[in-house]
Amino acid sequence: MKNIVLLTGSSHPSLARRISESLGVELSRCNLGKFSNQESSVEIKDSVREKHVYIIQSGCGRVNDNVIELFILIQACRMGSAKRITVVTPLFPYSRQSERSQKKRLPQHQIGTEIMSSLLQTGETSPSLPQGAFAQSFMGMTSGEGGYRQWCARAGTLVANLLQAAGADHLIAMDLHDPQYQGFFHIPVDLIYAEPSIIQWIRSEVPNWRQAVVVSPDAGGAKRATSICNKLNLDFALIHKEDLANTESMGLVGEVEGRPAIILDDIIDSGSTVGLASEILKRHGATDIYAIAVHGVFSGPALEIIGRSPVTAVACTNTVPQEEFRRQCPKLKTIDIAPMLGEIIRRTFYGESVTQLFVHEEQT
Amino acid sequence: MSSNSIRILAGNSHPALARLIAKRLGTDLANVTVTKYSNQETAVTIGESVRDEDVYIVQSGCGEINDHLMELLIMINACKTASARRITAVLPCFPYARQDKKDKSRAPISAKLVANMLSVAGADHVITMDLHASQIQGFFDCPVDNLYGEPSVLRYIRENVPDWKNAIIVSPDAGGAKRATSIADHLDLDFALIHKERKKANEVSRMVLVGDVKDKVAILVDDMADTCGTLGLAAKTLMDNGASAVYAIVIHGVLSGKALDVINNSMLTRVVVTNTIPHAEKKKKCLKLDTIDVSAVLAEAIRRTHNGESVSYLFGHATI
Repeated sequence: MKNIVLLTGSSHPSLARRISESLGVELSRCNLGKFSNQESSVEIKDSVREKHVYIIQSGCGRVNDNVIELFILIQACRMGSAKRITVVTPLFPYSRQSERSQKKRLPQHQIGTEIMSSLLQTGETSPSLPQGAFAQSFMGMTSGEGGYRQWCARAGTLVANLLQAAGADHLIAMDLHDPQYQGFFHIPVDLIYAEPSIIQWIRSEVPNWRQAVVVSPDAGGAKRATSICNKLNLDFALIHKEDLANTESMGLVGEVEGRPAIILDDIIDSGSTVGLASEILKRHGATDIYAIAVHGVFSGPALEIIGRSPVTAVACTNTVPQEEFRRQCPKLKTIDIAPMLGEIIRRTFYGESVTQLFVHEEQT
Repeated sequence: MSSNSIRILAGNSHPALARLIAKRLGTDLANVTVTKYSNQETAVTIGESVRDEDVYIVQSGCGEINDHLMELLIMINACKTASARRITAVLPCFPYARQDKKDKSRAPISAKLVANMLSVAGADHVITMDLHASQIQGFFDCPVDNLYGEPSVLRYIRENVPDWKNAIIVSPDAGGAKRATSIADHLDLDFALIHKERKKANEVSRMVLVGDVKDKVAILVDDMADTCGTLGLAAKTLMDNGASAVYAIVIHGVLSGKALDVINNSMLTRVVVTNTIPHAEKKKKCLKLDTIDVSAVLAEAIRRTHNGESVSYLFGHATI
């Protein structure tokens, strides 16, 4: 493939290497690092003049560092007269937008859910608690004093605008949390789905998958779960979280008695959703419990929660680097999506159709 | 039309400076919380209404620069979507100011990128101090106020350097000559320059002194002190050429890496920095450090911008 340049940021170099192997194109040389005052330093060693550049960067690890490094890479390519710049973000940063889900992810809320869940038996506080003076004002604010409803900033539009302002011409992202996010951009966005890879994994790795039940751990993910269970011809169940003041109890809608259950979600972050869901499924008589998510972020005590839960195996794609997590938790398996990303890059480069990849044949 | 008030929001980079600015203006910092989600994404929550207010967000480009830059952008965007009337970004030390030109192939112009990002986020106005190259103002479409620390530096020299009338102002490199001659003219002192041959980044080689410093107090003046390699070697060159003492005054004291050790082991008598970048911790490790407080300059600029008065008075006169 002539006139293509593959560049990787520092968030997920191993995925970029696998993509370059599957494409047969070498990664272009680029020195990434930090100056002594913590500013990001980017030096692209090969020429990008009149080439089609693909920059691979995932929104994981130190997110702000990786995001700014991505902007600087885009700018450097633009200043180097690249013909077209495509950004490939396996996990798009700052993609979770709805206010309800954001409030829940703030550290104080996490403490609340985790204390209530019987899984967290240690007396330590969550590592994600803010320290010192901020903690005081923070606790006061979330209890809603003063009659003003706090304004939680939503960074989604901002990040979309910043990417376009830096000079990106095209975006390839995988399984965005809100699919409407595509509309925030005026550049073309290609959304890829991990669904075919997940279906393939279920068929090959879940013994007696034909009797399994696909379970969505919340109401928002029902559409995602039904899509997969229709393609595999399986039954469906839903776990419904009922928020009553400060207690959360979850109810199961559907039957899992004596059958394996497959929990399907798009992101596993704190692990509390999967932990609570697997407890409920065990109580209702599921035999084996599998949890499959596209993005395995695993922040805080997530791996411990999963280790203690009745889950048999957890499978995530490698949009986020998984090697370190697999070392800590033997239940973790990885679904490799590098070949799919490589195929997308090849098709967009040659101007071929991408939807062919997602036409799925029904199998019994 | 009802009049609006000044709201000062502070990020995590330099809350102490923001508090000083607010105190000088006779107001409190706005109720804003900036933390991180468990997956390291920045979380900003504004706890009071900023609808139709004049918002000033104080964030310096220091410490964990990328985190602080994202905090600033998200705060600006949050205020914009909360219907603030005008949003001013106050950046005492402008981040990525040194990457302002394409000096080799495929080098990014990160200062232009930061300017684009600030505009896209929704900043209507930018206040900063002693930009590395004042042409960076041209990267913006919105108005930029580039304040000067010079009046504060002049006052410090007059009040704190013994026998300053016999001192000589020295520029540690050719690029800072303009800055040093301006100070020398205001104080009616002589001027000298050190010319260095630089081989690799952050590694300095031979230094040549142009001018006479024999038996005089030499005052090195520069805009930024990062690893302090330049300052250390300059001090040695000056002492070798007969200076009686060497002071260094810089506006932005980044002081990263081994800077404090270099200063402690060098022949510098004192290193003076402004508080555009926090250094309270560093002062404990290096007793040669001293501070010039510029919160008054920034607060005055904010007050004058809010009231619609001229800011140019601040370019020539130190604040009370």
